[in-house]
Amino acid sequence: MTGMGTLLKVSCCLLVLLPTLWPQRPALDARQARVAPAEKNPFDTQQDAEVGNRLFQTHCSYCHGAYGEGGRGRDLTTGQYRFGGSDAELFITIRYGIEGSEMGSVRATNDDIWRVVAFVKRLGRGNVEDTASGNAEAGRVVYETKGGCKACHVIGSDGGNLGPELTHIGRRRGPKFLEESLVKPEADLPVNYRGIRVVTSSGETVAGVRLNEDDISIQLRDTRDNLRSFLKDNLKEIRRDDPSLMPAYGSILTRKELEDLIAYLSSLREPL
Amino acid sequence: MRARRIWISMMVLLLTFAAATLLDAQGPPVSYQRLMKAEEEPGNWLMYSSTYNGWRYSRLDQINTENVHRLRVKWLFQARTLEKFETTPLVVDGIMYLTRPENDIFALDAETGRVLWTYSHRNPARTFNCCGKVNRGLAILGNRLFMNTLDMHVIAVDAKSGRELWKTKMFDHTAAGGYAATGAPLAVKDKVIVGMAGGERGVSGFLDAYDAATGKHVWRFNTIPQPGEPNFGTWAGDSWKTGGASTWNNGSFDPGLNLVYWGTSNPWPDYNGDFRAGDNLYSCSVLALDVDTGKLRWYFQFTPHDLHDWDSTQIPILLDSEFRGHQRKLILWPNRNGFFYVLDRANGEFLLAKEFVKQTWVKGFDDKGRPIEIPGHEPTPEGNDSVWPGVDGAANWMSHSYSPTTRLLYVSAREERRVFTKDAVRHPTTAAEEGAGGFRAFGRFRRPRFAPEESWGKVVAIDPTTGTIRWEHRILTPPWSGVMATAGNLVFGGTLEGNVFALDARTGKRLWRFPGNDRIYASPISFLSNGKQLVSMPVGDVLITFSLEAQ
Repeated sequence: MTGMGTLLKVSCCLLVLLPTLWPQRPALDARQARVAPAEKNPFDTQQDAEVGNRLFQTHCSYCHGAYGEGGRGRDLTTGQYRFGGSDAELFITIRYGIEGSEMGSVRATNDDIWRVVAFVKRLGRGNVEDTASGNAEAGRVVYETKGGCKACHVIGSDGGNLGPELTHIGRRRGPKFLEESLVKPEADLPVNYRGIRVVTSSGETVAGVRLNEDDISIQLRDTRDNLRSFLKDNLKEIRRDDPSLMPAYGSILTRKELEDLIAYLSSLREPL
Repeated sequence: MRARRIWISMMVLLLTFAAATLLDAQGPPVSYQRLMKAEEEPGNWLMYSSTYNGWRYSRLDQINTENVHRLRVKWLFQARTLEKFETTPLVVDGIMYLTRPENDIFALDAETGRVLWTYSHRNPARTFNCCGKVNRGLAILGNRLFMNTLDMHVIAVDAKSGRELWKTKMFDHTAAGGYAATGAPLAVKDKVIVGMAGGERGVSGFLDAYDAATGKHVWRFNTIPQPGEPNFGTWAGDSWKTGGASTWNNGSFDPGLNLVYWGTSNPWPDYNGDFRAGDNLYSCSVLALDVDTGKLRWYFQFTPHDLHDWDSTQIPILLDSEFRGHQRKLILWPNRNGFFYVLDRANGEFLLAKEFVKQTWVKGFDDKGRPIEIPGHEPTPEGNDSVWPGVDGAANWMSHSYSPTTRLLYVSAREERRVFTKDAVRHPTTAAEEGAGGFRAFGRFRRPRFAPEESWGKVVAIDPTTGTIRWEHRILTPPWSGVMATAGNLVFGGTLEGNVFALDARTGKRLWRFPGNDRIYASPISFLSNGKQLVSMPVGDVLITFSLEAQ
């Protein structure tokens, strides 16, 4: 090997090993340059939302689910939007997509995008404008006493974690949905609140709600609010035949108590 | 001072050695001869499926059933994107080449994962991909790497530097409802064969060939017959103009027959076939094309007049084997429609179809392989929830793998049903006049409120000459990961929850797993670095490379 050859190889090596620049991704700030044609949705009637639903099924449901319940994409029924929940912000997100993510732009007219916005904002807000017939104050008492709801649900910072948070439930769920959830809790169970029972190889039975799972392990919140994880190899049995831990309140409360409780939940709309 | 001089001399010597290793390790350019004999270079991964026969099989056996439990992470490559990897890296003489969404190329040192150079193609803000701004990888020929882009370019870059050599526009990506290209190209002889996507957007499908040296267009095969061509009459009215039948995955090649095999997508509109009465050729088919001319030698349609988005864009697997007492050149095809098919790849003759998942739409086949359908599987306005497989199919684009060691075909399979809904359809040409917004699937599918445990995944080992399932390894969720068999009697794969696993290829027993904890939408590869076998698997937007602990 000649001296020049060595020098050449060293130089090449150094050149090759020099840290290289990553191609720059477009900054998320680019979003800010994009504006919606209006701040408030000009297509926000019930009829618009119905058209929006059809468009949603075509453009969005593959990832966000037919009911906006999420899947490959985010759950859209929570009323929480990562890139802003105003009409204009939702318009921009739907119109332009989210840079650097799987969410592409929706190719439709501006009017149709607004209609999708109308539908998305109504998602999970099933008939929230309906009025509940019961007495909300009496319902609060049922919630805290006979119903025992606090043990599993939180409002603000008060309550348990076994069931979904109810802080603003009145904004997102109408009386009809709330009644169904109370009388037939298994009818529409959020995926992270499915009841599960595991039996360990030492014979211990642990019940709770399933938080996560893969082929190797399962994670749950037990009924005492402990976060638990089990390797499946160490389990004798996993039972899923009782998907809701919540009692069916149709046989526990009187009709009036049920109506009052629904009225109370419907009233939970404002920040505490 | 003297110590310092010695130290510097040692460093120079070390660097010289490293440089010599790095530079001398790189063999000659990747000629067509090398590609044809890729199985003789098990230390490299020279094309999407490793070899032209589509096997995705590694002849390396350093990692085997005895020691795979010692497999550990060697290095990570973090893509730093919110998108996911769907790419299959190439490995050539110690250098790994891979694509990152949207259309970046990286060259890495295969031993350490350190970046050597990058290339970036910037797409317009609006691209028309159906399922993420993804890319599935590269092809290599000579010193050139080839990539397709979301805005319908084919690009060649210099493998040593990442310098762009040519860039050819395949088609107007904004035409009809929008075109895109996401698959890896296939380099054959002096050509680059590239497909396109857009079956959900009323496109008109084609497969293209470009001159690898210049980027000049060589031939185009229209996957929908044009007026005057055979089988033009399989589309009612003007529906052929917007009939889909895209070519969005990779193909295989038989040098002996000089045929390239490529699968085609669903017809458009997906779920409402009212305006496209007929078989809709060549949607949901495999095409056998002369690689020099692009002329059709034969075709076989798996799903005539498809209504469930059951693309036939799986990777074709070519196998020479005895079949019912005769030595034959076979093509194996686990299809999205739920059936495993065997055809004669010289003439397309139908030999066998056998289900490998639960299916509810076919009661048998005629002697040409046309399905005899069970009425009632069509999408309905109120939603038909009784159809198995679901819209994502029994198999999809992720790779299957054939092992000559066990003589079994390994398939990453999905067991699920979905609700198929048919929407009222306007005439497609009217829809087209209304602009891109008119290009809709005219129907939809949705996830019914089935419990999560009502669908699952599995890796199945199929005897390719009988269709008999030898074993099944069940996994929690329908997978999007492909599989790779190795000479170490292992089958590598992954789950949607992010577990990378190795199964015993003879029994399906899981021998090793690693919790990657992000979705896996890609297929594994294996190669040598410094003489040691490594396995790479993209998990989410991180490429994980594994090696044996003792290494």
